[in-house]
Amino acid sequence: MLPVAHVGHYLWVFYLLPVIFVVIGIVKTTLSERRRDPEDEDE
Amino acid sequence: MTWLPFAHALVARQDLPIPAWLFAWGASIVLIASFFALSAAWRKPRFEEAHWRPLGAGFARALVSRPVEVVCGALGVVLLGVAVYTGLHGTEAPDRNFALTFLFVTTWLGFPFFSALLGDVFRPVNPWRAAGRAAGAGFRAVAGQPPAHLAYPRKLGRWPAAVGLLAVVWLEVVYGSSGGVAVGLAPDAAATAALFYSAYTLAMMALFGVEEWCERGEVFSVYFGMFSQLGCFAVEDGRLGLRRPLAAATRWATLPGSAAVVIASIASTSFDGAQEGAFKSAIESTFDWFVDRGVGLTASLRLTDTIFMLLCFAGVGLVYELGVRGMRTVRGAPSLQKLRVGFAHTLVPIALAYLVAHYFSLFVFQEQAQFTYLLSDPLGTGSTDLFGTASGGIDFTLLSANAIWYVQVAALVAGHVLGLTLAHDRALVYWPDYRQAARSQYWMLAVMVAFTCFGLYLLSVGNG
Repeated sequence: MLPVAHVGHYLWVFYLLPVIFVVIGIVKTTLSERRRDPEDEDE
Repeated sequence: MTWLPFAHALVARQDLPIPAWLFAWGASIVLIASFFALSAAWRKPRFEEAHWRPLGAGFARALVSRPVEVVCGALGVVLLGVAVYTGLHGTEAPDRNFALTFLFVTTWLGFPFFSALLGDVFRPVNPWRAAGRAAGAGFRAVAGQPPAHLAYPRKLGRWPAAVGLLAVVWLEVVYGSSGGVAVGLAPDAAATAALFYSAYTLAMMALFGVEEWCERGEVFSVYFGMFSQLGCFAVEDGRLGLRRPLAAATRWATLPGSAAVVIASIASTSFDGAQEGAFKSAIESTFDWFVDRGVGLTASLRLTDTIFMLLCFAGVGLVYELGVRGMRTVRGAPSLQKLRVGFAHTLVPIALAYLVAHYFSLFVFQEQAQFTYLLSDPLGTGSTDLFGTASGGIDFTLLSANAIWYVQVAALVAGHVLGLTLAHDRALVYWPDYRQAARSQYWMLAVMVAFTCFGLYLLSVGNG
C-alpha cells in the first residue's frame, strides 16, 4: 500500500527535479564540448 | 477594528489553477530561455560603466542641499527616539506598539524596497550618521581641527556589517520568537537593542570616522546601500544624478566581506521563511534532542534556531561557492578569489527578490497599521489619538492569497533573471570570448535555478 497520506512530505522532490535536470544538462554539455575542443582537455 | 498578529511573514492558502511546484518548473524554463537569449545576443559588457549624469533641475539640487540634509538627519534622530521611547514605555503587545512595526517593518523592509527604486534614501535620514556628523562638527568648532580617527583595518572590509546583519535578524526571528513572547520580539527588548546598537555605532564612528564606518561597518547603511546600487538615482560629488540601472552594483562588492553581506541577507530571509514551514519538523527534532539532554526550553529553542540560521548561511554560501568553482573550470578563468568577489553583486537582485517574495504581504498589511492606529496611538495604551486614526485597522481584503503568490513568483523570477544578466555581463569582462563567457555561466545558471526553486519551495510550504 502506498503511504499517500504523507505524500505532501515529499513534494520537495518536484522542486528539486528542475535543478537536477539543469545540472545534468550542464555536465553533459560540458563533457561534449570538451570532447569537441581538444584545447580544453589540456586544462 | 482588525488587529494583525505580528508575525514574520503573512501567508494564506491559495487556490491556484495548477500545482505550486509547476511554477518552479515554469520559472526554471524562463531562466534557461533567458540564459540562451543572453548567450546569443549579449556579447559585450554593458554594466561596467554606470554612465552617471547629473540632474540639473532646481528640485534635484534642493533634494541634496545642506538644509534638507540637516532636516532629514534630525527627522531620523527624532523617529529613532520615538521608537526607543515607545518600546520602553509603551504596551508590551508587539502588534500594538509603534516600536516593533517601525523598526522591523517600516524601516527594515521599507528601505530595501525604496532604496532599490530611489537610490540610497537611508543615507540622509540615518540617525547615527546625523548624530556622528553633528558631533564631528561640534568637535571641529571647539578644537579648531577635525577629529583624528584610527585607520580602519582594510581586511575587515564589510565583515562587521555581515555579522551585524545576522545579529539583527537573529534578534528578531530567533530571540524574538523564543523570548517568552510567542508572537514577536518584546518592544522593550527591541528598544534596548536599539540603544545598545546606537552606543556601539557612535563609538565605532568616533574611532574610525563617520563615513568610513557607514561604508563598511554600520549594518543598516551597508544593507540598505547594497540595494540602492540596483537603482538609477545616485548622488555623486554632492549632486543628484541618473545612472544606468544595475550598473553601480558591479563595483559594490569589491570590499572584503561584501559577498558575506548579500549571502547573509538571502540566508536570513530563507531561514525566516523556512522555520515555520520547510524546516519545521527538523527544527522540532533538534529542539527535542536538546531538551532530552537537559537544556532548558527557551535555550533549546534559541540554540536550535541559531543552528538552523547558521546552516542557512552556510548552505547559501555553499551553493554560491559551487557556482564559483564551476566557473573556475572554464579555460581562461581568473583565480577563485577574484571570481568570488567578482560575481557577489549578482546575488543582490536575488536578495531583493527574496525580501519582496517573503515580506511583500506583511509590508502591505502592516503599513496600514503603521499609518493608522500605530501613528495615532504609538504607545498602544489606547489613551491617545494624535491624528484621529487610532480606530483605524487593516484591510486584509486588499490582497488575495493568489495575488500574493503571483507577486512572489514574479519577484523571484525577475530577481533571478536580473542576477543572471549581471553574471553574464561580468563573465564577458573575465572571458572576452563570448562563447567561453557563456560556458562559464552554465554554473551560475544552475545556482540561479537552485535559488529560484528553493525560494518557491519555501513559499509554497509556508503558504500551503
